[in-house]
This record gives sequence, C-alpha cells and structure tokens, in this order.
Amino acid sequence: MMVYRLSFFGATFVDGCMFIVLILMFNAIYSQVDSIGGWSRGQATIFLGTFSLLNAISMTFYFFGVVGIPGKIKSGELDHYLTKPINPLLRLTFENIDPGSAPLIPLSIGIIAYGVSLQNMTSSPGTFILYFVFIFLMAVLFYDMQVILRTIPFFVISATSIEKLEGTVIELCMRVPGVLFKGMFKVLFYFILPYGLMATIPVQIITNSASGIMIAVSAAVVVLFTALAQWFWRFGLKHYKSAGS
Amino acid sequence: MKKYLEIAKIHFKAQIAYRFDVAMTMVFTISKILFAYILWDAVFGQNETVAGFTFPMMFSYYIISSFLYQIEMSDRVSWEVSARIRDGSFSKYMVIPVNPQRYFIAQTLGAMMFYPLFIFASTAAWVVLFRVKLVIACDTAVIAAALIMTVLGLLFMIQLNYLLGILAFRFQDISVFLMIKGNIVAFITGALVPLVLLPRGIVSVMRFFPFYYVTYLPSMLLIGRNKEEALTGIAVLAAWLLLFTILNKYAYSKFRVMYDGVGI
Repeated sequence: MMVYRLSFFGATFVDGCMFIVLILMFNAIYSQVDSIGGWSRGQATIFLGTFSLLNAISMTFYFFGVVGIPGKIKSGELDHYLTKPINPLLRLTFENIDPGSAPLIPLSIGIIAYGVSLQNMTSSPGTFILYFVFIFLMAVLFYDMQVILRTIPFFVISATSIEKLEGTVIELCMRVPGVLFKGMFKVLFYFILPYGLMATIPVQIITNSASGIMIAVSAAVVVLFTALAQWFWRFGLKHYKSAGS
Repeated sequence: MKKYLEIAKIHFKAQIAYRFDVAMTMVFTISKILFAYILWDAVFGQNETVAGFTFPMMFSYYIISSFLYQIEMSDRVSWEVSARIRDGSFSKYMVIPVNPQRYFIAQTLGAMMFYPLFIFASTAAWVVLFRVKLVIACDTAVIAAALIMTVLGLLFMIQLNYLLGILAFRFQDISVFLMIKGNIVAFITGALVPLVLLPRGIVSVMRFFPFYYVTYLPSMLLIGRNKEEALTGIAVLAAWLLLFTILNKYAYSKFRVMYDGVGI
C-alpha cells in the first residue's frame, strides 16, 4: 500500500485539510466576536479537535470496514461472512483498518492542545481521564450510527440518499457546536441523530462546563444506541435475502 | 456551436432520469442554510452587527451564496475527466469530432440548467420556513453585474476543473487532490464564511484571484454591498477565463500524448 503514498495517506490529507479549513472559518468569526453562544475561541478549537479525533478514530479503525456493508448486502457477498466461525459484524468492522488515517490522531490531539492553550484553563487529571473516557464512548456512538445507517440496505435497494443524509448531518454538526442547538434541533441532534452530542459533551467535560445530568444522559444515549445498533443488525440479518450470490 | 448546443440539450434531458437526485439536492440545500441560521443566530444574539452585517443581511448572504454554490456543479467535470482517463474511456472524446474542453463545458452547462429552478424553489421554501427577512439589492445595474459575474464564475470553475481533470494524463490518480481542492474552494469562494471576515491584507490579495468573484462578490452585490467592485470583478474574472482557455489548450496538447488508453 505504501507504493501509492498519496492515496495511502489520502484520508489524512483530505480530512486534515478539512479541519484546518474549519479552524480558519472559526478564527475568521472569532476575529469579530468574543464568543459564540457563550463558547470562547478556545472551546470552539477544542470542539474541532475533538470532532477531528473522533473522525480519526473512525477512519483508522472501523470506517473503511463498515462503509462496505451496503455493497456486500447488495452483491450477496455477505454470505462469506455469515458462514465463517466469527461474528460477521466484528469481522466487517475491523477487516479494513486503515493505518494511513492514523496520522490524523496526533494532528487532532495537536488541535486539542492548541485549543486548551487558548482556553487558558485548569483541569484536574480526573477531568482529562473523564474526557478520554467520553472520547471512547462517543467513538462507540459514532460507530453505532454508522452501523445503523448501513444496516438499512437490508430493507431497501439503494442507500445512497441515506449516506448523503449522514454526510450532511455530520458536516452540519462538525461546524456547529451542540450547545447552539435549541428546541427541536436539540432533540434531533442530541437524541435522534446524536451527532450533536459527540464532540460537544467531551468539550464541556474538559472545560468544566458539563452538568452531571448531561454527562449521565449522554452515557445513556451511548448505551441505548449501542443496544439499538446490535438489535437492528440482527433484525436486518433476518431479512437478508442473499441476492446476487 | 450547434453540436455543443445539442450536447447541452441531451445532458439537460438526462437529468430527468435522476429525479431522486434532484429531490435530494433540493432537500440538502437546508444544510448550509441551517448552519448559517443556528451559528449566526447565536453570534447575533450578543452582537447587533458583525463586520457591517446585520442578522438579516448575513442570512441573506448565506441564502444567496448557498444557492450559487449549489448550482455550480463543475466539480463533476474533474471527476469525470480523470476517471475516464484512468479507465481508458476518454478515447471517445479524442475520436469524435468535438473539442473535449467545449464538450465538457456544454455537458456541465446542460446539466446545470436543470437545477436552478428546483434549488431556487427549495431555498425559497426554507426562507419562508425560517421567517427571515431577505435583504436584496434593488439596483438593476448591480443585479446585472452580479449575474454576469455568476456566469463568468461558472465558466471559470468548469475551466479549472477541466484542467485538474486532464492532469490525470500526467499523474493518474488525482482523487485525493480533488477532495482537498473541494474543501479549499468552499473556503476561498466565501461559501463557508463571508470573506470580509478575513484579515484585510488577505482579502486584498484574494482580489487578484478569481475565486473571490465566483460566489462571494456576486452574493455581496446581490445584498447591496461592494458595488464599487462590480466592474473590476468582471474584468478580473474575464482575464482569468481567457488565461485558463489558453492554459487548458496548452495542457491538453502537452499531456494528451501521455495517454495510453488503458482499460479499452
């Protein structure tokens, strides 16, 4: 894979560039105002770094495995996974680990460190530990959403628009900190398509602005969506028609 | 000229086959509008004006720039040209009696013509839904200048994407580069934030480049700002268009000899 270096590090270049552009965007806005919805430049930078970190974990470990599920359902190739003595979802998830995306992880940590320095804050080691626990939980939630959306092709012919919807919602939620959502948008992006929670809660934890209730609710959302993803996958498998094989 | 008109017509009609894509494009116009509404509503909650914008002005800017950004579909030119060069099917453009660059301009304009009405309808629906007062310029000369600039901007973006596409003759896989370009272009054309928010020195430099005039300046003109830049903008954009026409001709004649038609 290293022969095609540009393609090998493709995700790093593309996503790294995307998050740098977003930092420039927030810097442009913060050059005119001191806060957005009560969030300082430091918090917004940590938010972008956190979203970038979640994206990096996804791209490195499971995205390129999960993204192939609709194609395998459509072609019937999923048969090969069902007949092997290993959990098919587990194998699908980790069969395409992408080391080329790994440089995004230190890059994201660099963005977070820059945000922390801008924020000029004091956090206890316990806060940092809780932050990384929630990074793990939100990476699980990110995975759950990917699995749920890519299980829909068990029931429909084409999932192109579902993937488009996912891309659109992620794009929105990585540009808008969750604290800015109000009313029905908050319900939508916290509890139905919970991308709004993913980077927001860890940032609130590390900047000591998260309430205990919100932390508990977020953990409950992760547990709920993990159970839902597992159930939906099994439910989808029951409807698998093995067409094309 | 007639044959290119026919190519445009065929690609216009072909869009009818992709009705679901059209519907989804309409629905997804909300993404940028929702982003602008939520983010700027929070910003203007604490400030009355930002860089000379009021909230209705800022929202109008995003409505117009999002509309212009959505109808600018030249991105597909670079993807299609590079994919066809890679799989060998670009050969057909070399043997049929057309100029490949003009073919792709006609093809893209044909496809583009299908969308504006639908995107306009969906954008209008979101404006009504969000109950925001639109700020639109009333000066017909300014509106005419913005429209001319928009057309020149679209043609420039097609030329740019064609040039990037034919780089596949030389570099084979340019997909990573094209994805990076997408992110950068969104920022430097002002589709993410109005360029007036950037430091003055950077904006001054950007005025020499065409991207400033593709989405940002037409949007600003249509909300009644930067009128004094209208004529200069058209001149700069026309100059870049001419430069890229020559550059593309040169690049095509230089790189086409590297094409080996693999995949036929």
